[in-house]
Amino acid sequence: MNPEDTQTGLQKNSKVKSVVVISTAMLTFITFWKAAAIVLCDFGSSAFYAGGIAYNAFGPAFPWYILGVSFFSGLLLMMYLESCSMFTRSGVFPVVSAGLGEKAAQLAASALLFDMALTGPISGLSAGNYLIGLINSTLAIFKINFTLNPEMFSMIFAAAVVIYFWYQNVKGIADSSEKSAKIIKLSLIICGILFVWSGITLALRGTVTLPPLKPQLTQEAMGWVVNIPFMQKVGYIGVLIALGHSVLALSGLETLAQVFRELEYPKIQNLKKTALIIFVFAVVFTGGLTFLSYLIIGPKNLPQYSDNMLSGLAMSLTGPTILKLILQAAVVFAGGLMLCGAVNTSIIGANGTMNRIAESGILTDWFRKIHKKYGTTYHMINTICIAQLIVIFLSRGKVYLIGQAYAFGVLWSFVFEMVSIVILRFKNREQKREFMMPFNIKFDHFYIPVGAIFVGLVVVALAGINLITKKVATISGVSFGLVLYTIFYISSRLNAKKANIMFEEGPREKLNETQVPELSKALENLPYKENVLVTVKDANKLYHFEKVLADLKDTEVNIIVLYARPLENWNAGKNREAVSVDYKELFTQVILKAENFGRQVHPIMVSSNNFFTAAAQTAFAAKAEKIVMGVSGTHGANEQMEYMVMAWAAIPERYQITAEILWPGREVSFKF
Amino acid sequence: MEINPLKINSQQISLITNPSTKQELVKYLITNVCSGTVLNQEEVFKAVMKREQGISTTLDTGLSIPHARMDGLTAFRAAIAIIPQGIKDDFGLQIKVMFLFLSPSGEQFFPEHLKLLAKLAETFTPQFIEELSKLKTVEEIAAKLPF
Repeated sequence: MNPEDTQTGLQKNSKVKSVVVISTAMLTFITFWKAAAIVLCDFGSSAFYAGGIAYNAFGPAFPWYILGVSFFSGLLLMMYLESCSMFTRSGVFPVVSAGLGEKAAQLAASALLFDMALTGPISGLSAGNYLIGLINSTLAIFKINFTLNPEMFSMIFAAAVVIYFWYQNVKGIADSSEKSAKIIKLSLIICGILFVWSGITLALRGTVTLPPLKPQLTQEAMGWVVNIPFMQKVGYIGVLIALGHSVLALSGLETLAQVFRELEYPKIQNLKKTALIIFVFAVVFTGGLTFLSYLIIGPKNLPQYSDNMLSGLAMSLTGPTILKLILQAAVVFAGGLMLCGAVNTSIIGANGTMNRIAESGILTDWFRKIHKKYGTTYHMINTICIAQLIVIFLSRGKVYLIGQAYAFGVLWSFVFEMVSIVILRFKNREQKREFMMPFNIKFDHFYIPVGAIFVGLVVVALAGINLITKKVATISGVSFGLVLYTIFYISSRLNAKKANIMFEEGPREKLNETQVPELSKALENLPYKENVLVTVKDANKLYHFEKVLADLKDTEVNIIVLYARPLENWNAGKNREAVSVDYKELFTQVILKAENFGRQVHPIMVSSNNFFTAAAQTAFAAKAEKIVMGVSGTHGANEQMEYMVMAWAAIPERYQITAEILWPGREVSFKF
Repeated sequence: MEINPLKINSQQISLITNPSTKQELVKYLITNVCSGTVLNQEEVFKAVMKREQGISTTLDTGLSIPHARMDGLTAFRAAIAIIPQGIKDDFGLQIKVMFLFLSPSGEQFFPEHLKLLAKLAETFTPQFIEELSKLKTVEEIAAKLPF
């Protein structure tokens, strides 16, 4: 029998037409482990160069200071937890915009972009250094009288890595979290081997000489302080300067805010787990391995390995040379992957930050131009990669030179962000925070953020001291920041009219609309067996949708979100124009809310002459257990339920289904 | 006369051969359901039409189910009209069967009210409506109805 013959007239005449599947990159979510892996590929990669740069700046005391900033990352992570609990699309730009205003946010974003322009080169050059270190060690072991120029090799290698990831990003990299997770797992295995082998080495040596606590600051590391004698006499200032030179180990924390939007349900609990993993990794991997490097390599041999300290650690262990060479190769392999991953993350992060800025209407259309074939913001990607290539060639392959300029952006973006979080405690007292930075004194109706103020003060002190000690960073950072700020300023003036429209309309998601011939095609690739259908009509009335996102504890249920676009012969009570909505705005709100909860949803738009028959047919096609609707302002819940029941009854092979109509404080539910 | 709407007898069935408008037909059926009750026909008409102004109860199968939940009722009441020629409703849909019913307003009756709506939508398929339209007397229609 032809399936059409079994359909009732209700189905034949009201059969949904023009089925469109809505998709966006924002509708996939990742586990806390993968989120941590993405952050660690950037944040953790500094373990490969932070120790060496700090050693060059203030001598053998560096392990204490790298360990110190690794512990301090715990406090910064808690501050990020608080900011993410307020903004799903978090990060420096939205947080500073809310706390200190848009001008400050532009400055903070400029500082951050400066750092991202340096992260790619410093990571690429470090990877090159590790690789050339391995090649030269191997050549020496096999007594081949040939060495490659490390700086030239690193420069070419770093440029190649940037160009490779430029191409990948223009094409639009698919989900890379799986790869990041593999890299971090491999790094943890190698970290474990290094720890065990180092323990054995130290035990065999019998004596352990701890590094000195007092930093020996070079003239270069003191910067303009060499001209301020009284500051040189104060011991704590020396400590602060040393910490300032170690702070580059914190580069990449911003990635946590970028990745938060992709974190799966339950979002804040998962963010806490992510932050804990990052903290432990920072202390053990960055702090611990840097400390072990000093203990194993020893102060005499450190200068030889300042550019590839973990390779030095591997080669200085007690054991057969061939095994050490294999371990060094493993360190180089994992480090190379992690550092190259950091190049990629810096391009993705800078592109993401520029997109956040563009969303507020500041950047002109030239920046926001979408690649015709790949749909990426390729002008932004080109700009970032060109800046990174210029830095690589200007550095002439010297990691330390970039290290001198580095951390300016990290610190100043921290300053703006931490100060904003403190200000928001006073400014947005009522705003819901699922996590608060600890150490608060309750006063009247709000909490005085003692802990947050302390972190803010430390960051301000470090940024202040770096401003007068890291000359290269200050001059280059301020120059870069001002150039970028000027670009933002001119761009925002040129784009003022468009920015106002965008401000009024709010940011829109980039929606991919794929037309499919029938409902079954739209529903065939859903990940789970169970389905819930949520109908939506009004971007401002999504209480029922939020309730489903919040209350549905089973994470293995597909949430199908349906909007029935009215056809000319709309017959569900009111005229078609009255119920026709801006579906892009509607789905933007749906996606933002799904993102807030970290739950994957499957938006579908159909054209129909009847909202209820469209809902019934979609629910039937999906074999949904439940249809959830919001209450209609004009009809009332009972009328809606009546029609839903009739529409469902018109489906010949129907099964028992539950319909729910939800609105604040009440719900109507019926199983039929 | 109180009835179980699923036990329709010939007194509750009308065969309309010269239909006028949907409103007139609703009024006609209200007269039928209100007969022998204390219900005010004007109030019932207002309640039914108010419900119709919300989401139309006409399905595009050709079935129209005007209804209202009324205070003072303790059981369901119903009347049915078959209109072989059909009439157009406000949205241009063809009505060939109009099943008007009133249900008690108490919340405890609402599930039954919904079940009745579902039963009607399920029963009156286009084929069944077409078969009813071909019958010549209310007795034949009563015999054909499954309730």
